[in-house]
Amino acid sequence: MKPELEVGQVVFTTSFPVERADLQRYADASGDDNPIHLDEAAAKAAGLPDVIAHGMYTMGLVSRAILEWLAAAGVDARITEFSTRFAKPVVVPAGGTAVEVEGKVRKAEGDTVEIAITATSAGEKVLAPARATIIAN
Amino acid sequence: MPPTEPVQITPASVTRFAQALGLADDGTVPPTFLISLTLPAAERLVEDPEFGLDWSRVLHREQRFAYHRELRAGAAVTCASTIESIKTVAGNDLLALRTDVADEAGLVAEVWTTLFVAGDPQ
Repeated sequence: MKPELEVGQVVFTTSFPVERADLQRYADASGDDNPIHLDEAAAKAAGLPDVIAHGMYTMGLVSRAILEWLAAAGVDARITEFSTRFAKPVVVPAGGTAVEVEGKVRKAEGDTVEIAITATSAGEKVLAPARATIIAN
Repeated sequence: MPPTEPVQITPASVTRFAQALGLADDGTVPPTFLISLTLPAAERLVEDPEFGLDWSRVLHREQRFAYHRELRAGAAVTCASTIESIKTVAGNDLLALRTDVADEAGLVAEVWTTLFVAGDPQ
């Protein structure tokens, strides 16, 4: 794919602001309207510190970081495998928060590259690293 | 459980999903879009009253997608869900679900979702 890619190389670092309005838009688009993502009182009643982002919203931001990296590198490729474990919630107070995403090369072989992606919010790792396998078209 | 009837992935739903994540809206189905089809399909399994799942005690634990072919907006797909395993750990359940997503030409993607279901507070 990109012959210069080396294992361990950081290929992207991005920070995405996250506001409660973003969660409302994601709820509308995905159909996941669980109130713990939208309503502070409902989140607190469920034992959470505040409204939390949908895990799939965070995973979606990770996919955005990957796709923006590929587009910026001018690589025509597609994701064939994409996985994660949700380790900690992304807490979204009324003033909003941010999710920092970093992608590192885990394996690079021929037309295939595997990326390990960490995501952090308020100093906590929110994903037990995500992995994506990308194959050049 | 038998597959769902074919559902069209409408261009409008793809645009709305891409915009909600800040993705380029180029007619390809976003990498995580299928969750909006597979979770409702899997809900048919877990909403079975004999199975009895209380969604207010559910957290999303793990998620995996395998894509066999590129999916474009406008495609019509079916979803076939199965429960792969149920494990009880310290009074809580881990429920592993798999949904096979197929179009006219066959399997397009497999979507695995693991849900953590908190045990009944005693």
